[in-house]
Amino acid sequence: MSDTAGLGRGPLTRWLPVFLLAPAQPPTAQTFGTGPGTTPGRFLLHVIFSVRHLSVPAMLLAIVWQVGESAVPVVMGLAIDRALATGDAQQLGLWLGVLAALYIALTSAARFSLRLTAYAVQVLQHRLRGALSTRVLHPIGANARAPDGAVVSMMTTDVMRLANGVILTVIPVSRITSIGFIAASLLVTHWILGLVVLVGAPAVVWSTGALSARLSRDTREYQALLASTVGRATDLVTGYRVIKGMHAEAEAARRYRQASQETLAGARRNASLLGRFLAGSGLINGTFVAAVLGLAGWFAVDGQLSIGGLITSVGLTQALLPQIQAIANVSIPNYAGAHAASARILDLLQEHTTSATAPAEPHDVRAIPALDVNLPAGRTFRVEPGELVGLRADDRTAARIVEALVNPRAETGVGVCLDGISGRELSPDEYRSRVTVAPQRATLFSGSLRENVAQGSPARVDAAVRAASCDDFATDLDISVGEGGNRLSGGQRQRVALARALAGDAPVLVLHDPTTAVDSVTEHAIASRLPAVRAGRSTLLIASAPALLAACDRVVDLPAAGSVP
Amino acid sequence: MNQGLPVAGGRETAIQVWQLSRGYRLRLAATGALGLLSTGADLVVPVAIGFLVDRAQAGTANLATVLTVTAVMALSAVLGASGTALTIVLATHVYHSLLAALRERLVEHTMTLPQHLVEQAGTGDLISRSSDDVNAVADAAPTVIPAITVTVFTIVVSLGGLAALEWPYAASFAVALPVYLLAVRWFLRTGPGVYRAERTAMSARAQQILESQRGYATVLGFGIAEQRHQAVMTDSWRVAVQSLRARTVLSMLNARLNLGEYLSLATVLVVGFALIRLEASTVGGATTAMLLVLRLLGPLNQLLLVVDTLQSALTSLSRMLGAVTTVPVPPGNSQQTAGRAVQLDQVSFRYGQGPLVLDHIVLNVPPGQHLAVVGVSGAGKTTLAGLVAGTHLPESGTVIRPRRTAMITQEIHVFAGTLRDNLTLAAPEAGDREIQAALAATGAVEILDHAPNGLDTILGVNGHPITEAQAQQLALARLLLADADLVILDEATAEAGSTYAGELDRAADAVLAGRTAIVVAHRLSQAATCDQIVVMEQGRIIETGQHDELLTAGGVYARLWAAWESDR
Repeated sequence: MSDTAGLGRGPLTRWLPVFLLAPAQPPTAQTFGTGPGTTPGRFLLHVIFSVRHLSVPAMLLAIVWQVGESAVPVVMGLAIDRALATGDAQQLGLWLGVLAALYIALTSAARFSLRLTAYAVQVLQHRLRGALSTRVLHPIGANARAPDGAVVSMMTTDVMRLANGVILTVIPVSRITSIGFIAASLLVTHWILGLVVLVGAPAVVWSTGALSARLSRDTREYQALLASTVGRATDLVTGYRVIKGMHAEAEAARRYRQASQETLAGARRNASLLGRFLAGSGLINGTFVAAVLGLAGWFAVDGQLSIGGLITSVGLTQALLPQIQAIANVSIPNYAGAHAASARILDLLQEHTTSATAPAEPHDVRAIPALDVNLPAGRTFRVEPGELVGLRADDRTAARIVEALVNPRAETGVGVCLDGISGRELSPDEYRSRVTVAPQRATLFSGSLRENVAQGSPARVDAAVRAASCDDFATDLDISVGEGGNRLSGGQRQRVALARALAGDAPVLVLHDPTTAVDSVTEHAIASRLPAVRAGRSTLLIASAPALLAACDRVVDLPAAGSVP
Repeated sequence: MNQGLPVAGGRETAIQVWQLSRGYRLRLAATGALGLLSTGADLVVPVAIGFLVDRAQAGTANLATVLTVTAVMALSAVLGASGTALTIVLATHVYHSLLAALRERLVEHTMTLPQHLVEQAGTGDLISRSSDDVNAVADAAPTVIPAITVTVFTIVVSLGGLAALEWPYAASFAVALPVYLLAVRWFLRTGPGVYRAERTAMSARAQQILESQRGYATVLGFGIAEQRHQAVMTDSWRVAVQSLRARTVLSMLNARLNLGEYLSLATVLVVGFALIRLEASTVGGATTAMLLVLRLLGPLNQLLLVVDTLQSALTSLSRMLGAVTTVPVPPGNSQQTAGRAVQLDQVSFRYGQGPLVLDHIVLNVPPGQHLAVVGVSGAGKTTLAGLVAGTHLPESGTVIRPRRTAMITQEIHVFAGTLRDNLTLAAPEAGDREIQAALAATGAVEILDHAPNGLDTILGVNGHPITEAQAQQLALARLLLADADLVILDEATAEAGSTYAGELDRAADAVLAGRTAIVVAHRLSQAATCDQIVVMEQGRIIETGQHDELLTAGGVYARLWAAWESDR
């Protein structure tokens, strides 16, 4: 039998089922509602409590796990007292059995708690990413502002930090319970010891936390430095072709080295602060533990505590330390990171709230509507259903018109109407199902040629590929175009983008300078094929190339904005 | 699919790290010694408690004994903590120094890789190696270094302590040792693959998100938001599946370590039981042994907590090292001369194993002459430009070009940094006056006029926005500042719309004046003014000559020209 889960298991264990691996299909993603009054703290709580069906069982199991860990020294202390001090072999067997049972319990609890928590983190990450994807990156309507590069790190790093917040509802809870268990056990052993721990442990956690504040501040500064260095590397590698072309490799490397060295200085300063923090927290923890142990020692010498009681107290106090440290060093930073990420993600979500509200009733727009474009100063033109209209305009006006056609709600000063109804009143769905806009700088997506062209519509790929004159290089539609289409030349990329626009067979298609990177012979071929492939549909062709404009039914000339009073 | 850059193997990684550590080894050894001493202080508490247990049992202790023991414990804890902290600081310093050296080498090396290697691997791969991987290795420092430092020394010291106490106690660890070793061996065999798979899935996810962001206008214009969303979500869940596999492996390691823990503790009890019966040890001795073993388990668990981070840092490290060790093999001959002429002799080129893109090209451009390269798209014009510029190396044949060569293409990139930084990329010494002169010559003064902080205005991703035409003007000004002997323009002014075409062409003329130049153009008006024109088709030069000669010859160029003219 083979190791199907691919977890490197030997013949002894591979027959065991593996629970809680992720299903191949994602769970249906529900998004997170955010009102205008939502605070980052509340959003964080909302997010981390949204997977209670996973986090609550994980927390209960974690309590078993952590209390079990704390009970190990107790059991050991009892075993030494009852079996070793008495020399009773039967007792030894009994306590070995108790220890084994304890370990079985805690290890099973740990295993499932860890996996449930990990599953919860992943489900949350997926949902948060889904929320950002639909609201910011892929809005059905359009956002007031296009997402900038920060959305990439937001959807990876910040989503991860925020989702990790769910661990706060699992591990720290179990650690605090475990500290409570230790205090209670000490109370039973000697009430003063229990009291000292109950009062002292929170004080130690608090003072360690206070010590770490300066370190955390500096860590954020250092992380910003690191991020800027990393950002610089990304920037330089992105502009790699430009640098190569200019033979500026040495200068680029020098600039990076400079940033890297600044970050190194920051890292060193941060390490020194970490050292100070570790020494300080070691001082607090060490003296606290020594004091508790000394007190227990005195009670034993004084006869208030049995030898077994002393050993148990020692064990319990020892178990206290890691719990305190973990809360101060792991959970507090986790909370800080999750809260900061929550604020950033919430900001972005609120900034990109799409104002679109579903209309009560659908508008009366024909399948192929008449398109009106209204510019300021009364300049206006119309594309009748089925027409192929050329538009000659200066770059700035053309860019504004295209922006308005992509998103009729944008503040461009250009009005777009379908069958006389303003694009602002139409629902995104109504508008989008009529109008497709192929922007001048077309982006191809990683994948095959076919996948890219078929993004419009899978049915008409071949016809579109021919109409866009891609036949010379697109004999095999299943070859990969590379990242962002970087395996194709500029002219090839542009023609694939054109094919994608034509394949969609949109009722109204807007093409903006579709052939600027194409040679004149190919441009002629495209111009001659365009009317046939768009027959019966409306097309607005914004271009300056005479060959393209010559193929249009009519050409609209818009003088530059400056020349119109 | 993309053929990524190599990833260094475990052995290779170890060798490279060892080589990198040259110059730090003495410091590392001293740090190690300090760590050992500091952890030694940790032995005091268990021994002191054992001593107290025995004294209390014998009834020979008083308040003074307890106070002394407490003071000793507190003092040792403080000394130990300070020493350990110092060890960690020193180790972290070395770690970051090595990381800085490595990331600098990585970026430097990336810049010198042959372009076709980078295209094959995809810039995304290099970006993720120089960003995500650098982050992963840097992030590991604050958790991994303390955990490893403490664990390694604690193991050594605790075992020493156990052996000094009564050697059979040390056997308790020996019993558990095989379990630990097997667990670690299993983990090292399984872990890296699982973590690498997770990392690969993360790269793919980041790429999907990046493409949607860059193609926002396309996504909106085509109304393909839903498809793009699904693509991102599919890749997002792929990461979840891989991440859960990684966490499952981690929880399995946890269970194996628990087994080892149990065996250690049980053995302490059995050995202690036997020793006390034989009167070779006391109850206090058994308590000390138990505390020592428990002390050992804490750091081991600590190590488990960071094994995740460590593993991903190691994976990242091997990816960074893999990118650094890619040895660029120049297949053909590309030479630089002090002259200003260009000579190509029987130059052939192909991408990877693909078909020949350039087929025995022979070309001469005398000093100061301008050569136009025309032809339909896909004829190999851009590849030819890349070979002359030196960004591609020929498969066979010889390329001779001036040492000072500069090329700009349609590829526009505004670097994150000041306007000045953007312009002086290829001329770091240029002063403000020269910069302004270059901006004026390329008609880009308008950019400076609108920049809020003049030459210190930050441009790029989150900076002051400029249009694409302006970005291209900047590129031309940058080219002018570079003052190269040979200038190559690969359809550098092609994507501009109608209004700017004229402006950009005038800027290009200013840059070309007085230099040897190669111009790849599909606007034939640009070609017509060059001293010499070559027409390419399917990787070969099919016509060469001056504009008038070629028109008279009535070949391919004449047909292209006729098509072009009919449009005007």
